[in-house]
Amino acid sequence: MAIENPRIVADVVEVNEFPHLAQRYAIRGVPKTVINETVEFVGSIPESQFVEHLQRASSPSTS
Amino acid sequence: MAFLSHNDQNEIKRLFEQLSGDVRLIHFTQRESPLFLPGQECETCKDTRLLLEEIVGLSDKIHLEAHDFVAENEIAREHAIDRIPALVMTADGVKGKVRYFGMPSGYEFSVLLGSLVDASLGKSALSEETVKVLQGLDKDLHIQVFVTPT
Repeated sequence: MAIENPRIVADVVEVNEFPHLAQRYAIRGVPKTVINETVEFVGSIPESQFVEHLQRASSPSTS
Repeated sequence: MAFLSHNDQNEIKRLFEQLSGDVRLIHFTQRESPLFLPGQECETCKDTRLLLEEIVGLSDKIHLEAHDFVAENEIAREHAIDRIPALVMTADGVKGKVRYFGMPSGYEFSVLLGSLVDASLGKSALSEETVKVLQGLDKDLHIQVFVTPT
């Protein structure tokens, strides 16, 4: 997704190596995705749903 | 000892035959030191570096730049890197930023290889509809995907 939009930063984080992040983001299952600290979900989801989450995170009401 | 078996190397070389543009892997790591500094050790930095060197050796289109996280902190800041090992993948066709934190092993290794191919080709494997929506998003978006090696 970051390939397509200059405003997207996409990180893959190996959580065992950064336990403070596991705690900070309450990681109980993987993969866990967090977008802009406001939208989050656990598990692999279809592309269309992922896009919906991105749209939600980028809507003006979500900061 | 090599991380990639002879068979793995051949398979990856075959995968890399489709690469078109150059890809830069900007790697942030820790200089090896005989001193042990409690709280500052990076357990996977050395292995990550070795793995990346093996990958880079399989294609002349992939280039590795290794930086010391502490000594070259300005470059780290430029890429907003606050932890290591870290990897920033850049290529002409990559508009945003793709980063990996931690050693990409297990399933994540194949994800990394897929990203390398996408970055080199300058296009994602996403549907046209998704690409259209993504290109219309005009707010900074930081996607973090937390994984474990499986």
